[in-house]
Amino acid sequence: MRVARKPFNPKRFFRLVLLYLLAAGGAVVMIFPFLWMVSNAFKEHVFVIEYPPQLIPTHPSIGNFMRAWTSNNFQLYFTNSAVVALTSTFFTVLFSAMMAYAFARFKFPGREILFFAILLVLMVPDMITIIPKFVLIKTLGLRNSLWGLILVYIAGSTSLNTFLLRGFFEQLPHELEEAMLMDGAGYFTIFLRMILPLSAPALATVTIFSFLGHWDEFTWALTIIDDPLKRTLPIAIYSFQGQHGTEWGLVFAAMIIALIPVLIIFIALQRYFVSGITAGAVKG
Amino acid sequence: MALNLKTRKTLVPYLFLLPGILFFLTFQVYPLVKGFQMSFYKWSLMPGKASQFIGLANYVRAFNDPVVGRAFINTLIYTLVTVPGQMILAMVAALLLHSLPRGRAFFRTLYYLPVITSWVIVSLLIRYLFQSPNGLVNYFLVEVFHVVSKPIMWYEQASTAFIPILVLGIWKGIGWSMVIYLAALQGIPRELMEVASIDGANGWQRFWKIILPLLGPTVVFTLVMLLIGGFNVFISVYLITGGGPRQQTEVLLSYTYRQAFDFLDFGYGAALSMLMAVFLITASYLQMRFLRKPVEVY
Amino acid sequence: MNIRRIPILLYVLVLLALVLSACAPASTTPPPTGVVETVVVEKEKVVTPTAAPEGPVTISFWHAYNADVEAKFLEQTIIPAFEAQHPNIKVQAVLVPYDQFRRKLLIALSGGTAPDVARVDIIWVPELADQGALAKLDETMTDFETLKDQMLPGPLSTNFFQGHYYGLPLDTNTRVLVYNKAMFAAAGIEKPPATVDEFLAACEKIKQLGEGKYCFADGGTYAWAVNPWIWSFGGDITDPQITKASGYVNSPETAAAYQFLKDGVDNGYIHPGIKGGGVDAWGGFAKDEIAMLLEGPWFPPLFGSQFPDKDYGLALMPAGKGGSISVVGGEDIVIFQQSQHKEAAAEFVRFMLSEETQLKWVETGQMPVLKSAGDSEVIKNHPFFGIFLEQLKTAKARTPHPAWARMEEKLTNTGQAILAGEGTVQENLDRLATDLDALLASSQ
Repeated sequence: MRVARKPFNPKRFFRLVLLYLLAAGGAVVMIFPFLWMVSNAFKEHVFVIEYPPQLIPTHPSIGNFMRAWTSNNFQLYFTNSAVVALTSTFFTVLFSAMMAYAFARFKFPGREILFFAILLVLMVPDMITIIPKFVLIKTLGLRNSLWGLILVYIAGSTSLNTFLLRGFFEQLPHELEEAMLMDGAGYFTIFLRMILPLSAPALATVTIFSFLGHWDEFTWALTIIDDPLKRTLPIAIYSFQGQHGTEWGLVFAAMIIALIPVLIIFIALQRYFVSGITAGAVKG
Repeated sequence: MALNLKTRKTLVPYLFLLPGILFFLTFQVYPLVKGFQMSFYKWSLMPGKASQFIGLANYVRAFNDPVVGRAFINTLIYTLVTVPGQMILAMVAALLLHSLPRGRAFFRTLYYLPVITSWVIVSLLIRYLFQSPNGLVNYFLVEVFHVVSKPIMWYEQASTAFIPILVLGIWKGIGWSMVIYLAALQGIPRELMEVASIDGANGWQRFWKIILPLLGPTVVFTLVMLLIGGFNVFISVYLITGGGPRQQTEVLLSYTYRQAFDFLDFGYGAALSMLMAVFLITASYLQMRFLRKPVEVY
Repeated sequence: MNIRRIPILLYVLVLLALVLSACAPASTTPPPTGVVETVVVEKEKVVTPTAAPEGPVTISFWHAYNADVEAKFLEQTIIPAFEAQHPNIKVQAVLVPYDQFRRKLLIALSGGTAPDVARVDIIWVPELADQGALAKLDETMTDFETLKDQMLPGPLSTNFFQGHYYGLPLDTNTRVLVYNKAMFAAAGIEKPPATVDEFLAACEKIKQLGEGKYCFADGGTYAWAVNPWIWSFGGDITDPQITKASGYVNSPETAAAYQFLKDGVDNGYIHPGIKGGGVDAWGGFAKDEIAMLLEGPWFPPLFGSQFPDKDYGLALMPAGKGGSISVVGGEDIVIFQQSQHKEAAAEFVRFMLSEETQLKWVETGQMPVLKSAGDSEVIKNHPFFGIFLEQLKTAKARTPHPAWARMEEKLTNTGQAILAGEGTVQENLDRLATDLDALLASSQ
């Protein structure tokens, strides 16, 4: 009887309106800084902070975007960031899936202690070891090399993703695996043909998170990259801000350019990523 | 044949672990050990300058360094403010969006925007918004909401300079926890809520009695992740206040980084890192013991 | 099952694409020699290190020239001229913003990837030399004596450390008073203040203009900002031999200078941004909110490019008990010990110090360091160098000491504590003196 279509109910209607207003209000707070960034990016040649501030530029211009894009090797920084983020994400996901498979589906001597060690180290921020890592990368001759970024990014996010994927892999049905074993399939086949396909949502989630993390990483890149031709976007923006400190419109234009690919990837892959979270992170 | 299968079964997991473990040992464990060694030296990286063993001197110095104490307290403040801040606001937002019949995905995307934006961008943006006296935040406080009579000079005193950092920490993180809570809320059977309504439970009671217990593991999971993130605070401090004024907004990582890369005091920086690592490993060990098996959280 | 496969198929495809793209860095990454050689300024042309044996050498040149005027000039005029004269040498100019420069340089040095040549703040040379980072130019360059004799002695001396010259001066500057003509007229001030007393009188008049009008602004309490006041009040940071700070940095004269700054902030004369919060000084000046600044010779070209319609005047630093004493700034050009191309680097140094190049730089506000340049028509008839040259006659340098970075950190913090009213001026300065004494003693 409750399921029947309800007649118009003013109380319910106003409650809904209120809810939408609240949600919209929250959304405004969340995106207001971005609106502000966009607004200022369209104001060219402004060297002082406007007071009172104007959200809608009086003479909107795309001059800042043109200047940012042309003056600073931005295309190169894009390529660098893309190469680093994609390469390290691929290996991160591969290695953590392999590790997670071992932890989730096998019993072997040292399993508990090893997993425990990984968890413990996971609790320690990467920054803690930045000084010795700097020394290590110097010894390996990988300063000013994108590989110096890639290797460290892989190591830095493999532990967490192992932890995340292990939880997911543990819940996959054992029957299928046993059936495949009976058919003579090896463990690598099982890993490739069964575990990975069944875990697509979880893999998508860790892929996106890793990619975003690697795309945005700042401190390590700042520390090991001096060569301007090896810069990734975050350090390029930092350096750009240092050069044009008072010309915020120009700086914001550069930031927006850097933000666009992230937005595209996020919006395009959002579905996978949310389903991944639902499937992976929530299940108790 | 059976024996062969058994040996295979013992060997296989190690093969799967191999690449990951290699990375783990080389870039995670070895640096910790190396850092431990460095912390006993006046470590030099300059060609022609030898590193010098100085025993515990770096540690003694750390315990007598007033800025270290300040940085430790600031790191704690950051964690204690931003972690609950993010969780509470994320929970409110998740409950709100969950009760919307339509448009959930749209709002979710907007709320998530700060999460996917790099720390560099949002830090510089927040620094700009909090500029004094003519920044946007001051404009709203003075002219629009009339909360204060004259602009606040945010970066001049420690008491206000840390606020933009805290605001950023909360604002950037809400979306992440919210998405997770939202997903968890969708997993709660509808019948359960309806039964509760029939029993006369109001919204508040339903939240405490039904939703929160069901979301328990999810909440603990976000708590653990956010705590790790809280101690990782660095970029926002580095880019917004640079630790100033008078090193009053320094956090542990920013101070450590400066020791190493502003003053080439790698040994001292390593000692500070080691102290922090010991603190965090102990804390997380206790946390794991306290929460029994952490894996069950997940 | 089929539907389930679609995402994984996509996934595999994406991953495949990643693997393919992953090959890219492998093929273009140069062997890790620690020295960057493959880079060139032009985007389209990539020179590989395995080119012809006499193929061009690329030297990296780090600088903190401002982006809009000076760096543009460097890349569009100076470097092309150099490369035209030296077809075998390419210069890769790397702009590192001043605030990030010292840290970036130290990181590069300890990481073994120092540039070949750099234009560094004169105050960093002792520290870099002490770290063993710099080539001794008096040994590296055979014609060093000739070059040395052409330089103004003041700027040259900033390169001398423990018996050797570790660099050559590149440009020099100092800070003079820039005043806002519109605000002076509105407040009824007839001429720029020549003394501290006149400065205070002018400030009182500016204050009458109303809320939000400041007489003076500066970016903080670092030495570049406070030392001109300390010296003009007759105080100092250390003794002339740089062995102790007690009796100098806590002398009554230095205390008077800090008291003057504190009173100025408390009275509303000085923009509170000096307390450490920072201030958009140029913006405020352009909007008639700030009446006076201390600025270097880069101010007229750069400020003019941003605010072409704003009228201002230049005057000497207001004189106190110690006279009108400003701070010497400027940059030295240094070659790094790690450089594999010291010869090419030295060639670039020679070019930058030639009279022709030095005079070219003048249009961006860079003041030459050659003795001979002073006699040139360009300098004699220059629209605004006169006042800077006048100020330079009495200007003093910040403490040239390897521990300067740490010393200045203490100095800045003390200044902020004083302006924030935490403890008396004297208490703060006494503590600073003890700290500086310790730093000076420990690095001897």
